[in-house]
Amino acid sequence: MREISKLVLVLSLICGISATALTIVRISLEERIDMQNDFYVRGPALEQLFKKPANDLLKDKIVFTMDDIAYPIFYMTKGNEITGLAIEAPGHGGYGGDVIIMIGIDTEAEKIIGLEIIQHSETPGVGSNIEKVSFRKQWNNLLINELVELRARGGTIDAISGATYSSNAVVDGTNKVKIIINEHLDEIEALIQVNLN
Amino acid sequence: MSYKQVLLHGLWKDLPPFRLVLGLCPSLAVTSSIENGMGMGLAVTFVLIFSNMMISMLRNIIPDKVRIACFIVLIATLVVIVEMVMKAFFFPLSQQLGIYIPLIVVNCIILGRAEAFASRNPVLLSMADGLSIGIGFTLSLSLVGSIREILGAGTWFGISLFGSNFEPFEFMIKAPGAFLCLGILLGLMNAYSRKRGESIIQT
Repeated sequence: MREISKLVLVLSLICGISATALTIVRISLEERIDMQNDFYVRGPALEQLFKKPANDLLKDKIVFTMDDIAYPIFYMTKGNEITGLAIEAPGHGGYGGDVIIMIGIDTEAEKIIGLEIIQHSETPGVGSNIEKVSFRKQWNNLLINELVELRARGGTIDAISGATYSSNAVVDGTNKVKIIINEHLDEIEALIQVNLN
Repeated sequence: MSYKQVLLHGLWKDLPPFRLVLGLCPSLAVTSSIENGMGMGLAVTFVLIFSNMMISMLRNIIPDKVRIACFIVLIATLVVIVEMVMKAFFFPLSQQLGIYIPLIVVNCIILGRAEAFASRNPVLLSMADGLSIGIGFTLSLSLVGSIREILGAGTWFGISLFGSNFEPFEFMIKAPGAFLCLGILLGLMNAYSRKRGESIIQT
């Protein structure tokens, strides 16, 4: 009995200390990692979507929270009117965890401009094909008021063969963005107005 | 073993991955360029030095029956720290190495050194062992990475070597090229050792 309690005690102590160390490192590096993400990933994605230099786009950022998930949102304005939004959202159900996507929206035409994959841990060569233009171009010019679905489930999106989970995660993220736009646009506009003034 | 022996054994006698034949997975997967190979090697070196240090410090406290679990927890903690530091300071490299950084946790070299060396030697000696094996691993991966990058892309550290007329063997930076390159190097090393009359570990 004494031996077992010693085993449990030592292992728990080591785990506890490790967890503490990781938390400290995470908290101290979080801000820097976010900056690097802006510079290397979000910046180029925004450039692709809006065809403007990343530096002009990155600074116009708000964070909208829905169901305890934080959605970073980048906005473009003409005067006081919002002309474009880029919403980042996590798509659940990927093979290697969440797939973080960014969707560019033309708010005047009420259409999706395009889809960019920000971060994923899908299998290289299979699920990672969600990054390919041939898959992502299916998002161009989709209307924002109707939800998307894979063709296998009666929708319009062709999944990548062999990577249904990964494709579905992207669809899930897209639908989150659409829900935000359709149901919470007023709140987002209010947040942006606060930022503008 | 003396410090000198420990510091030198990772450079030829137990040179990973060739002599230990451990850690082949990253050696094959991330050596498509010297930069990736070197980055991977340095990440492993860092983890190796500190995992050896911590395991050696705790070697009298950790009970034998749960030692592997304890080792893995310590190694995993270090690897996650490396991953976060890399994301914060060397973001492009961390994107290149991708999934292979978290997979350092299950790199057999690290657990192998913990089990074979650090769990029965004093702290400083264990750190020296980690440094030696780590440098050996970094050099090996850099060598494989250089050969593959030079032949497969015609560049070294991204600098073009042969001008625009050079048609690279794209085969070398694909997965089969890694097997070919590693196999030929291993064969050459064995031939050299045999000529010198050294005992060869692999059979």
